[in-house]
Order: sequence, then C-alpha cells, then structure tokens
Amino acid sequence: MGERTVVKTTCRMCGTLCGIDAHIEDNKVVHIEGNKDSVLNKGRICIKGSSAVTWLNHPDRLYKPLKKMENGEFVEIEMEQAMDEIAEKLTGIQKQYGDNAIGVWKGEGIDFAQQEELARRWIHSVGSPNYFSNDTQCFASRYLSFNLVYGCWPQADYDNSKMIINWGTNAPISHSYWMQQINNGRETGATLVVIDTRYTDIARQADIFIKIKPGTDAALAWGIIREMIKRDELDHEFIDNFTVGFDELKAYAEQYTFEKVKEITGVDSKYITQMVDAIAKARPQVSSWAGTGLEHQSNGVNSIRSVTMIDALAGAIDRKGGMKTPAGFGMRGLTIYDEKPLLELEPIGAKKYPVLYERRQECHTLMLMDQVLSSDPYPFKGLVMTAANPVLTNANTGKVEAALEALDLLVVKDLFLTETAKMADYVLPAASYLEREEVYCNSGKQAAFITGKYVDNGLQTEYEMFKGLAERMGAGDYFPWADDHELTEWLLEPTGYTVADLKTNPSGFIFGEYEYEKHRRKVANGEKAFNTPTGKVELFSEYLVEKGIEGLNGVPEYHDPAYVQQNDPAYPYLMITGARVQKFFHGRYRNIEQLRKANPDGCLEIHPEDAKELGIVDGEKIKITSRVGSIETFAKVVHEKEIIRGAVQHTHGYVNQNINYLTYDDVTDPVSGFPALKSIQIKIEKL
Amino acid sequence: MRVVIVGNSAAGLAAAKTFRKYDKNSELVIVSKEKGLPYSRVLLPYVLRGKLDYDKIFIRGEAYYTENNIKYVEDAVTSIDADKKELVLEENDRMSFDKLLIATGAYAVAPPIEGIKQEGVYHMWTRKDLDALGPLFDTKKSVVVLGSGFVALQAAWSARYRGLDVKVIEIADRVMPSVLDAAGGKLIAEKIKESGVELFTETVTQKIEKCDDGSFVIHLKDKEAIKADFMIVGTGVRSNIQFIEDTGITAERAILVDEYMQTNVDGIYSAGDVAAGPTTFGDKHLTHALWPTAVEMGEVAGANLAGKKIAYRGSLNMNVTQMYNVTVASMGLFNDDHIDEAYVFDMDRYDGYMKVCYKDGLVVGACLVGDSEAVKLFGKMRTIIRKGIKADCAPEKLESFLDIKIFRDRK
Amino acid sequence: MKVVTMDTSKCVGCRNCELACAFANSKATCERTESKIKVNHYIEEEVLIPMTCLHCEDAWCMNVCPAAAISRNEETNAVEIDEEKCAGCKMCILACPYGNIHFDEEKLVSTKCNLCEGNPRCVGHCVAAALQFEEAEEFAERSRKKVDMRLAETMKNTCK
Repeated sequence: MGERTVVKTTCRMCGTLCGIDAHIEDNKVVHIEGNKDSVLNKGRICIKGSSAVTWLNHPDRLYKPLKKMENGEFVEIEMEQAMDEIAEKLTGIQKQYGDNAIGVWKGEGIDFAQQEELARRWIHSVGSPNYFSNDTQCFASRYLSFNLVYGCWPQADYDNSKMIINWGTNAPISHSYWMQQINNGRETGATLVVIDTRYTDIARQADIFIKIKPGTDAALAWGIIREMIKRDELDHEFIDNFTVGFDELKAYAEQYTFEKVKEITGVDSKYITQMVDAIAKARPQVSSWAGTGLEHQSNGVNSIRSVTMIDALAGAIDRKGGMKTPAGFGMRGLTIYDEKPLLELEPIGAKKYPVLYERRQECHTLMLMDQVLSSDPYPFKGLVMTAANPVLTNANTGKVEAALEALDLLVVKDLFLTETAKMADYVLPAASYLEREEVYCNSGKQAAFITGKYVDNGLQTEYEMFKGLAERMGAGDYFPWADDHELTEWLLEPTGYTVADLKTNPSGFIFGEYEYEKHRRKVANGEKAFNTPTGKVELFSEYLVEKGIEGLNGVPEYHDPAYVQQNDPAYPYLMITGARVQKFFHGRYRNIEQLRKANPDGCLEIHPEDAKELGIVDGEKIKITSRVGSIETFAKVVHEKEIIRGAVQHTHGYVNQNINYLTYDDVTDPVSGFPALKSIQIKIEKL
Repeated sequence: MRVVIVGNSAAGLAAAKTFRKYDKNSELVIVSKEKGLPYSRVLLPYVLRGKLDYDKIFIRGEAYYTENNIKYVEDAVTSIDADKKELVLEENDRMSFDKLLIATGAYAVAPPIEGIKQEGVYHMWTRKDLDALGPLFDTKKSVVVLGSGFVALQAAWSARYRGLDVKVIEIADRVMPSVLDAAGGKLIAEKIKESGVELFTETVTQKIEKCDDGSFVIHLKDKEAIKADFMIVGTGVRSNIQFIEDTGITAERAILVDEYMQTNVDGIYSAGDVAAGPTTFGDKHLTHALWPTAVEMGEVAGANLAGKKIAYRGSLNMNVTQMYNVTVASMGLFNDDHIDEAYVFDMDRYDGYMKVCYKDGLVVGACLVGDSEAVKLFGKMRTIIRKGIKADCAPEKLESFLDIKIFRDRK
Repeated sequence: MKVVTMDTSKCVGCRNCELACAFANSKATCERTESKIKVNHYIEEEVLIPMTCLHCEDAWCMNVCPAAAISRNEETNAVEIDEEKCAGCKMCILACPYGNIHFDEEKLVSTKCNLCEGNPRCVGHCVAAALQFEEAEEFAERSRKKVDMRLAETMKNTCK
C-alpha cells in the first residue's frame, strides 16, 4: 500500500475540460473529484468525471495490440509487430491505389487541440490530404457560422451578461461549468432565454422559454432582428463602424412579420416582443449560444449566423457581458498545410464543401463512406482511426458498417474494444488522459492547463503512434521529438513559458488579461478589427457569395429544413436524435456499471397526446422506422410541456437501441456538410 | 436543587436529556423500579422476529449516567409525601426532592378471563416478557394471540415470521381500531390472513385451560376451541399510578397534567404513558401510550424542570410499523366519525390504501396500509396538522404542496 | 458547522447529485433509489427542489428513535443512523418533517445523508452550483445579498 498523491489535472471525459483532483495510489487512479482551485469549474464536476475511476480501471481495458486473423478472431500481438504491419499495409495501399487512398480519423475522445493536430500532421506527412474527424457532426458548423460572421471561435461572457440566450443547447448537460457561469450572470440580474423544441434542464430555469419547431430557429431570429430594427434597439456606433451589410440585412428582415414567424416556427409574437424588451434593457451585455439543436439541420450554418446577428446588432461582440473574441496563447501549431497542402490529391469533400475545407481543412466522413463503397472519384482503402466510434455515432450506421467492412485496412486505437474496434484489422490500445502530457488552453480565461503522465500503464500515446507510423513510412522527420514532453516544450516555446512554468499552476496558468473591445485598439493600430475578409463583422458575407453555393446569397437566409421542404407522409413523426444525457457521452461510458444500471436502454420521448393516439404507454417496446432503417426501442411518454406534438427524441449511443440505423447521411447543410440528425422523419408502430 | 425523575424509559430519559441541556449542575436522580439498563419496548417484536440481537434493546449504556452527572437508583416508589417533598421507597430510605417528575409508564393488562394468569400466557411489554418469550419462539410450534391492537399484531407477526402457527383472537368486528379506520382495518386483516395467520374477529374467549403437557386449549364462545403451545395477551395498558393514592396528586386513569407537564401539585410533573396531557386537537387530558408522545412530553417536562417555561403544543398521535409485508401507519384523526371528509389516494400510488382526512378545511390526520415511501408524507403533514395550516391545494397535490411549502419555510 | 444548502433558483434538475450520492452510498449503482438527496421536479408549478437532510440542530429523528440508533457525529456535525442498532420501525421517517429519511427495503433499516464524512458528494457534483457546503450563516448572508442586489436593480430601473 503506497502513499496517495493528489494531482491537479484536466478531465477529458468530455470536451468541457473541467479541473480535477486525481488521487493516485500505486500507479492507479483511486478517486477523482473537482479541483476547487480550478479557474473554470471551481471544484464541481459531473458524474462522468468521478466515474472515470471505474472507467479507467475497467477490466475490459486494452493493454496489448490485437490483430484480426482469417477466422475473424482477435489475437494479441506485440506493439512492434503491429506497427510494422500497419505501416507496411498503409504504404502498400498507397503504392497500389495512390497516396490519397489512406486517411486518418480523429474522434472526440482526444479533444480538438494538441492531439488533433498530430493526426492532421501525420496524414499530410505521409502524403494524403484525407484528415477526417468527429467534426463532420460536431462543432464545426457552429465554428463556421461564428467564423463567417466575426472571424473567431467565441466564448459567451455569461458571468457579466444581462441577457443570456441559448438556442438548442443544454448547458448543464453539455458544458457543465457553463451553468455555474450562467447562474452567476442570473444572480446579478441576467434574463435567461431558452429556445428549444424540448423543455430541457436549462429550460426549467428560463425566464423566457420558447418552444419551437425543429430547424426553424432562424425564422425566429429574423423576427427578432426585424423587431430590433423596428424599435431601433440597435448599437448604431458598432454597426456603422464595425459591420458590413446592414442594409442587406434590414431588407431581408422585412418579410419576417409576426405572422410569418408564427406560421413557420409556431412561436407566438408575444415572445418576440418579450425578447426585444429584454434586449432593450440588457444591451450590449447580450450573450448567445447555439448548439447542435441548430447545427444538426440542413440549414444549420445559416441559422447560427442569423443568431449571431442579434449579438452584432446589440453591439455585444467583443464587449463585456457579450461575446468574447479570444486571442490564443501563441503556441506553435503542428499542421503542415502550408508546406504540404496536397490539394491536387482531392481531399474528400473539399469540392462539395469548399468553405469547410478552406476554413478547417476538414474532410467529410459521410462522403468517405460513399467513396469507400464506390471508389468514385478514386479508391479509398485504408483508415487509421483513433478515439472514435462511428458505428454508434455517425449517421446511417448501416452504411458505416458496410463501408468499414469494405476497407482493406482499418486500424482503430481506443481504450476499449468498441463496436467500431470490433470491425478493425488491428486494434491499438490507447493511453488515457491521465497517461499523457499535453496543454489545453482556454483563451476566454487566458489560462493554460498542463496535464501529465500521472498513471503509467506502458500504453502507447497518440504521439507515439503517429511518430512510429511516420518513421516507418519515411516521414520520421516530421516527428523529431523524443516524446510527448519534448513535443509539448517545443509547442510552448514561442509563448516564453515551459512545462515547468505551467506546472506551477495546473488549476489554470494565467498568461494574460482578457482584453475587451480589442477591435478598437486594432483599428487604431491600423489592423483589421475582426478576422474576416472585410475586417469587419459580416452581416453580409461576400466570401460566401463567391463560393456560389445555392441558396446562400450573402445574408444568412432562412431556408425551411429539409423535412418541411420534402415532407414524407409515410413518416409522419419528426425525430430529433442526440439529446445528451449526463451519464454518458456519445458512444462512451455505457460500460461503467453503476451508470448503466441507472440507464440501461435508450428510449423514444413522446408527447402524451401522440402516445395516446398511437395507443402507446410509457415503457412499452415499439418499432421505429425511417427510410433508411429500423430499430426496436422503448417508449418514454413525457409531460406535455416537455416536447411539441409531432416531435419525438431519441438519444444516440445505446448499442441495443442504435438510433443511427435510422438517421440519413444524405440531407446535409450545404456549407458544413452536417447531417440533419435533429430532423429525421420516422413512423412509429406498436409491436 | 435536586430533581428526581421516577422512570427510566422514553419520557424519563428524554426529560433527563433536556434538563441537562439547560442545567448542567443541579443534582439529577433517576429512580427505576425495573432493574438493568434502560431498554425500548418498541424493539421487542424486532428481537423476537430475529431482526435485532437481544443486546440491541438497550438504549443507554452504564456510562451514560456518569457522563451526564445523573445518579441512578434502582428502587420502587411506594408513596409520595407531597408536603414534605419526599419519596417513600421500598428498599432505601426516603428520598427528598425539590422537583419531581413521575414517568413510570404503563403496564399491560389482561381481561378477566379464567386461566389468563398462569405460566405460558405472557404479555409482550417488558424485558421479562421478552426473556420468557424468546426461548418459546425458538422451540414452540404454535401461539394464540389475544387482542388485535398494535402490540398484539406485532407479536403475532413476529411469531408468524419465525414460522409458528399463529391465531389471533379479537372481540370486536375489526382489527386495530385505534390505529386504522374501518377500510384500513379490513385491508390489514386481509394481509394478516394472506400471511397464514388465522384471524378470529367477533370472538369471545371464555376460558384458557392448560393441558398436562403444558400446552393450552382456549375455549371460545359459540365456536370450536383452539389449541396453542403458549399465548400472548395484548389487550391494552394502564398507567402505573398505583403509588399515587393518598398523595394529593390528581389522577383519573392517568395523572392529569397541563401544557407544562405540571400536575396539580406545584413542583411535581408527569410525562409519558402515566400521564394525560393536552393534544393537538384541543383535548386537555389524553393518554396516547406512544413512544414519540412520551419523548415529547419528557422533553417539555425536562425544560420546565430546569426553569424554562416551555409549553407543550399538544401531542399528535402517530404510529408506524412494518408487518405482514406492508407498512401500517396512522396519524391524528382518521376515523370517519371524527372527520368531515377524506381523500383516498388511488391504490397504485402508494401500493395500498392511503387516506388523508380533513376537518373544517384543515388536514387533521391520515392512515396507511401500503408502501413505506408514503410514510414520508406523514412526516411532512405533521407540521400543518399541528399548526392548523390550511393546505391550499387539491388533495392529490398534497405532496407537491408540502414539498414546496416546507422547503420555503425551512430554517 | 457546515451543512448542505440548496438554492432552488439555480437547480436545473440534472440530478448529478442523486447519481453521485447513490454511488457514494451503495458503491455499486447510481440508481436514484439509493440516493439520499432527492430532486423533486414539479413541472406544472415550475419548481425544482433538491432536498437533502438539514442535519437539524434539534433533530426530531434523533430525539424520537426508540432504538437510540441515531446520533450526532461530533466531527462532521452530521446526524447519522447506526444500521446495526436500527430496527426498521420507521419512527424517524414519521418524525422528519422534510421527508429526508429513506428506507432500505433490502436491509430493512432507515438510511439518510451522513454528509459523506465532511466532503458531500452532492455538492461536489452540482454543476449548477445550486448546492453549497457552508455555514448556515454564510447561506443566510448570500441570500440577503441576493435580495439586496435585486432590490438595487429594481430601484435602478425605476429611478432611471
């Protein structure tokens, strides 16, 4: 029995990155609780954070590489052999089919920073432009929206807000400590507005809760914009000096009368009045956030753009209590797009989604599935996947399974033998977030967070895998650092700080003071106010017009979601998928026994009137079908307040009720390529 | 000052604890007729059932008295000299007091049936009873229980739980009349029968005859006689006021006390099963013979003994037990002739029968045969019953009303 | 001494507290039945109450227990039930005016919050900061401050 040490580090059970105290004893984590000193979550974590102790010590964790034999069974092999064979096979595929016939897929599990950049670097270093990630369905749509309008990835300044608007997002479940910040804002008088099809956790505390038809949020946003203009609740100084496109915006807004908004969204005019009343009192301290509720629609990017316009008109951008526009920490990047762009090798999806590729160098996983099966425009045969489980989480599971099956080589790196890993030719065990060193950065707080290898199971980190493969494939020069530590030091160098410096405050190393209204200082210095093509907040995006995407003509027009445009009466119910639950995260954590006992199965949330009509009672087993597939699941009859009639909801990630057998991959946002996971048309049958 | 408490059970110990809270220095003596460490008779059925070990019945250790500066004397009080302020004891010399608390509790009574007072027929009231019953529960096969009150039915359940053949005899047409209403009584009667206990209502016992082998034949009026290896009698209790005669302290069936637990004699108090004090519903003198009431009265007495003039807000009868695989609970007024209206929750909600009773628009009581979760609602209702607060909601919304109200009113 | 305080204006009913409490007590499951803190959501009244034991100064459960099975932990100030002594008579459940004592149907004993030895898990998992672990006086002060701030805000708006 050794002694116990308590390390302060960062939780990576989801992307919120809360500060934790990890209690380590005999090279094992034995207890986790919130880090009271964390500048972010101040000692509070969700149940996933503490349940990590069970997850990280789970008996099913992988420690040795697995190779699938002829008979379909896995055998354990040594890492050297695994790496040699994988590299050989990858190189072989490239020789046979072309350099771009291989790709890398980085999943949610290893975050969006240091580890992601390793994947991006590796695939380009070995000659292919095909970098894929979970961002086909996650966050990138929002990223593009914000980016197109005011050139950055912002943070809502909830603590200082006087009005907080949340569209299709549920902070306590999806971004735990943001709820603390929202509550801080509310304590000093902020009005909370929640707009959603469901009466979610955060909606329960809303001062104004607006129930809305899925995918129609932008029409409401335009109604609000029109009313703001009518009542002159506008920050003219900001609009005149720091935006472009106001006239076009005003002209487009005109048609969104109360009646039209009500017809499209189902929302009564009194809500628009209430909102603009609140904006009038609160501006410029208005902060907005939009989540996957808007992203996972065929009009997602435009919807979120229109939401940001409210902030722009209120003068809230880069203002205290509004939307923070953080500058980074100044670390080095790992990507080599300038050096090896490889555009001539046709990154998959770059042509169809030029904005996505230009702004994020992101290829498209849904198109990948089609291309694997069709080899059109070129064959794709080998995929290295890490921290991802698309069999459970990607749209159209049937196609995902078929495509992964059709690959010549599938390598999956994970902590467990997931549903996707089971399909692989090679499975590589992964080091967890307590088993590697990296830097996370929260620019809104101007804080950097260093993690460390606090538990050593001898497991291969992401860096070690990419370095190992690169070396074997003739690209070793791109990975010269001996290990994660040396790499991290190199990445930190331009900041003037070292790992040791950051270790002096793992609860949040403050590297600067957040500067509001940077745009004024920049303009005074002759710099661009905002990082957009025009240097201003783009209410009208010329850049988008130039891309020539159908239906996108500058202002973020509202387009009816696909299910409205192509309503199919054979599938009369509108299914939202993917509402989060606190205990699990996408495909992960259902193997944590204590959590699974509390929620073993997925279910379909149904309005009581709809249930009555269908003759379905709570808990009953039912069959649901879309034009793509069908599953059996359980009915959950909710309170009439909790969802609108005609809409139903099913969370993803349950192996026995995998809702992605029903979701389609061919209805996507034209800018981001996001699938419309929040509006799948289905029919419901009793069994 | 010397304060003497006669009685070493619920009321006496509660009084001692409260007295010492306010007064750490005055002399405090507890006189107990029953020898040994104090125990709780509430626990007897649980020991007999096998849920608790015997040693768990004791609710204070020896150290308690020395730690709290309490002198403990084992003796019986035969009389009280109220003028001289002295206790007349059986063994020891007279004991003088400045203030006195009589908390001598109650004793179990038996109806005047031939053969009821002999070995093999017991009450389930004292530790002595437990010592006699314990071995019988271990070795015997059948028992007949006389009475269907709280204690009797608990005894019967413990025996049934242990696998004995059990018969219950009740003179009235329903069971547990002081705990449940007619409907509840009917429901628990069903549960009793379901568990394999034979229940004889409207049955008069004429004679209890012991056979040569030590077992019993119980002769019933107009019914066939029944047999048993031993018997338990649970037909009520009476206050221990035998020594009050000629003391000048006013008593009827129990010692009469006011809201300060004060008897008619200045400086002499009484509390618990031996006393009859004020109730929530305005009765001036009523004895509940319930543990929680004894505790509350003892606390009030203890405070007043220490010079704090604290008035008792009145006892609210409440009862709960787990038996025959259900929870039985009641509180306040619940009999149809005492209330204006009642609301019965649907059977599924509390897995049984739950009735909330109203009088003059106020919640005055409830009774339950069903789920243990429902007992929480009883606890929440206590405040509004005691304070006469109107539950401004439909009866089916009572739980949410109370949750919201008590949360807002919490300290 | 510290107690768990609850702010209903912040609670969103995420039930992280219940999950954490259930696991802390049972070491086996996060099912709600094992939790000593219960979040009651009254959807029609739009009220959310995360209710947990207040460890009353004058604890009625402790006073009434006929088995002397409930006592105060001197270190943490928590009112605790000794499962060895508890007979399962449920008098404490009848006594508690807040419904904070629960019954374990398997062990047939009463159970309740014991403040997790001074580091209450519910508070550590309350992502909305509706639960705090603080002196009762601190809570009173914050509540006063909140009312004052709201008053000031109202005055500011009316006197504009």
